[in-house]
Formats: sequence, structure tokens, C-alpha cells
Amino acid sequence: MSERMTRAQVPLEEGIIFPGSTCQGCGAAMAARLTFKVMGPNVIRHGIPCCPDQSSKSPSTGSVFEGAGPSLTGTSRALKALGRTDIKAVGFFGDGGVYDISFGGLMAAAQRNENALVICKDNEAYMNTGGQHSGGTPKYAETTTDQVGPNSRGNKFHKIRAAFAFAALGVPYIATASVAFPEDLMAKVKYAKDIEGFRVILIQTPCPVGWRFDPAKTIEVARSAVQSGMWPLYEIENGSTFKLNYKPKELKPITEYLKPQARFRHMTETEINEMQTYTNQRWEEVLRADEAKRLTF
Amino acid sequence: MIEIRLHGRGGQGAVTASRIIAAAAFEDGLYSQAIPMYGTERRGAPLTAYVRIDNVRVRERELVHTPDYSICFDEFISMNQTIANSMKPGGIVLANSKFKPEELPLAGDIKIACVDATGIAIKHLGRPITNTAILGAFCKLCPEVSLKGVEKAIYKYFPGRVGDMNVAAARASYEQVTDLITAKNKEPPKQVEEIVSGGYGALKDVSGWRVFEPVIDEEKCIGCKTCWIYCPEAALEWTANNKPAMISRACKGCGVCANECPVKAIEMVRVQVKK
Ligand code: SF4
Ligand code: SF4
Repeated sequence: MSERMTRAQVPLEEGIIFPGSTCQGCGAAMAARLTFKVMGPNVIRHGIPCCPDQSSKSPSTGSVFEGAGPSLTGTSRALKALGRTDIKAVGFFGDGGVYDISFGGLMAAAQRNENALVICKDNEAYMNTGGQHSGGTPKYAETTTDQVGPNSRGNKFHKIRAAFAFAALGVPYIATASVAFPEDLMAKVKYAKDIEGFRVILIQTPCPVGWRFDPAKTIEVARSAVQSGMWPLYEIENGSTFKLNYKPKELKPITEYLKPQARFRHMTETEINEMQTYTNQRWEEVLRADEAKRLTF
Repeated sequence: MIEIRLHGRGGQGAVTASRIIAAAAFEDGLYSQAIPMYGTERRGAPLTAYVRIDNVRVRERELVHTPDYSICFDEFISMNQTIANSMKPGGIVLANSKFKPEELPLAGDIKIACVDATGIAIKHLGRPITNTAILGAFCKLCPEVSLKGVEKAIYKYFPGRVGDMNVAAARASYEQVTDLITAKNKEPPKQVEEIVSGGYGALKDVSGWRVFEPVIDEEKCIGCKTCWIYCPEAALEWTANNKPAMISRACKGCGVCANECPVKAIEMVRVQVKK
């Protein structure tokens, strides 16, 4: 498990070339900045189509959506053949990539336990192309493909809990992180970077444009997702050892998270209650796993 | 046929404005067309949109190349010759600016009018979304589009109370727009500074994206680094005396730093456009 990091330990040096080309208050830009602060120079960054976040100083390569798993596999095997395992193959993908189009290829790479680190900046829809539904979209969120109208209440499905899908394959390390908890995020990246095998870090990165809230509130929204249990922060090792990193005495009501976001504006009380119950149940599950220090399927 | 070009930034509502103008003309019994220029749109990044209005069916399907009207929704872009380029002779430029039209550095065979749409938007909507706050002024300059039609179209896009606020902004701008003046310089300058638009990768300077910018009160600041760690652009430098300092070329004015500072030592102050 990752070791706690303090603010004083956060490196002053940046790993990105700024300013980038994102919207104002972009959560993904924050995630990239924090990630590449601790990643170090020996990295080959892989990208697939997504929002621009931040350009990092490391060399990078790109492929099609479906190529996420295969291209990481190719790089990590080539590095091994060259005897340069000090250089890490790192993917920095969006949720449309990790939870949707690239899911199959990444699952296969995870099953083969390829030596690669996949970092997902999860803004819960295809925001680069105008906010279409992805596997990362939460239930009831309005997207440009799940519009609210007489016959539609927004997205019909619950967000894929991708961490558990990867856990089922027993990969060495999985973590969730949030831009509102930067030290925790960086500690996880630092720890995951040097593990051998397939590693996944899922970072929730609020999107002011797609979620429709004031760009000044990006961190506020990210924080309330964690504090309300909608985005719990945890780590899973070898598909079983489990640790919850943030455990408030009492969860905040999910309305604190939903309220500032216009994508949830249409939700009725019944729908909010349904989501509250769903969130509580999922929270109970992670609490139980944390107590047992073990994830059981 | 009249052709209109709109200059703005993602988030100011220029694309919605193009639809409102087209819908307003349609309400008045004309034919119309709104064309957004799609790239990778980013909130804050410069963009253009186009409108055509005619009393017969509009058959053109391409972008507008020589507009009769050019409307600019952004105070900074209003200072850039780009908005006055390739106009029809005698074309009209309507700029969002606090300045008088003769104070804008725009040249060509054009007429210019100004309205402080940012001020109007902040007053009526509480936010610098300048689209409806400039449409009223446009109705005054363009006989083909009536204020009534625009108001109707605004309610179509913003029903209820939000519509009331936007209509109030449109009316205020109808009242406050300056008279048209003829540009003094007929010849536009040869070299025009490019407007930095979005796209991918690192940019050189985004200082023009800001409507508000952080001003740090060093007395109040306790040096906690909260603002520094949360800035998405690394636009706050950590100085030797343990305080943050804004890097002007990198700050987009999102306001995250001010929102997160535990002692409220950062204030977001409206940027003053210089002549
Ligand atoms: S306003 Fe936004 S971009 Fe500018 S310094 Fe503050 S957090 Fe950074
Ligand atoms: S968050 Fe406020 S108190 Fe902390 S370093 Fe920034 S300005 Fe100073």
C-alpha cells in the first residue's frame, strides 16, 4: 500500500509544460499535473483520443481507442527486450477509453499481467466530443446522448465499478484517487509506478462544462464526491488485500455532491433517495472489505 | 442576404447567440441559418460562429467569408483586428467593450459600435456570459432583426426566470449601445497578431482567456500552498518568501485558487482591458 505524503513532500518541480489547452477549472488538467509531478523522467506516456489535459515532459505516443491495451503491451515488452525496465510504460486515458471502447483490450492486458500502469482521468462521459454517455456516466446524469424529457430521465445505468472488474483478474495494484486529495493521489502514483505487473489508478476528475457547474468549484465537487461516498478512495493489492484510504465518521448526504451540478438538476426526490440507498449499500461493501482487509467476491 | 460572423470564447454563449439570431429572424418571417464552427471547443478558447438571413430560402451551406456584420462577445478579442477583417465594404463591427468605438484599434472600410456587454451580463445575470447582453445592441444596428423577435427567441432557449434575466440584459444593451462611427484608418495593418485559440498541447500564453484574475493578499496568506496545489495550470509560482505569485501567461482565471484558500486571501478581480 502507498505511504502517506505530506504537502511539504510534494515536489515543487512540474512534470508538465503549461499552460495546457483545457477548459478553465479542468479536473483532468489537475490530475495530469499531479501525476507527472511524481512520475519522474523515465516514462513513455501512451494516449488514446481524449480531452487534452496537460502535455507532460516525457516522450509520448498515441493510438486509437481500441489500441490502449495492445500499445502498452508492445511498449512494455519492447522495453523488457531492450533490458530497460527502468523505463515505465504508462497509459493516461479517459473514462471513455478505460471503461468503454478500450475495455476489452485492457482486460486482456490485465489478464496477461503486462508490465504497464494505466491511469484513468474519469470525467464520466466523452467530454472532448461534447459530452456523450460513457460507461463511466453515473445513473440519472444528463448527457448529450441521455437527454431529459418525457420519456427519459438521463442515463439509465449505474457507473461501471471498473476497479472491481480489474480486481477480479487479480492484478498487483488498483487504486482510486481524487483531485481533491492531491497528496493521496501522488502517493498512489509514486507507489504504483515501481510495482511490476499491471496497475490501474482511477482518478475522478470533475468537468465543469460537461457536469455543468462553476469552474471555481471543481475541487469542491470532487471533495464532496469522496465525502458522500459516491467516489470512495481505496487500494486493492493482488485482487484481494483491501484498504480504504478515507473513512469519515459519517457520510455527507449525496445531495451535497449532486446539487451544484446541473446534469442532476432534474432528479426527483424518489430518484435521489434511490441513489442515496445505492451509495450507502456500496459504501457498506467497501467498509466491510476494509474491516476484513480483504476483498471477497 | 445578410451575413453575420460572431467572435467569442467557449462559455460566452456565442454559438447559442448565433441560434438566437437565426431563430429571431425566423420569428420575424425570414429565412435563416446558424453555423457553429466546430473544432475542439474549450471553455475559454476563442471560437467563431456564423449566421445568414434572407427573405428567400438560404441555399448556401458553407462558412461566411465576407460578413456584413461582425459581432464580438469578448473584451480582449474586441481589441484584435481579426474581427474587422474581410468584411463587406461598409460592414458593421459590434464590439463588446467599455471603450468608445473610436478608441478601438480596428481599421478597414467599416463602421464600429461598442457596448459594455460584460458589465451588463454581470449586472443582470451575475456571470460574464455575454451572449444575450450583446444581442439587444445588435437589434438596434440591424434592421432585419427586431428586439421583439430576439426576446421571443431568448425565451425559447431560456424559459422562465433565466429567460427574464436574459431579456433584461438584451434590453439594457439595446439602450446602451453607442452610435456607429466610421473607422479612421481605411488600411488594416499588414501584420495582425493571431488570436491564440485552443487545439491540443501546450499553449504559449492564455492570459487573454481571463475575465477575472486572482489577486493575492500577502498579509492574509498563511503560506499553506492550498491554492498552489489545486491550480490546474501550475499558474501559481511558489516564491522564496513562501507565498504564491500568479504567472500571468498561464492563468486562465478559473477561480479554483480563490475558492479553496482557507483564509480567503485570494480575490478574483475583473481584468481591465488596456487600450
Ligand atoms: S484562477 Fe485558476 S488558473 Fe488562475 S491561478 Fe487560480 S487556480 Fe490557477
Ligand atoms: S491558499 Fe490562501 S493562504 Fe494558502 S498559500 Fe494560497 S493564498 Fe496563501
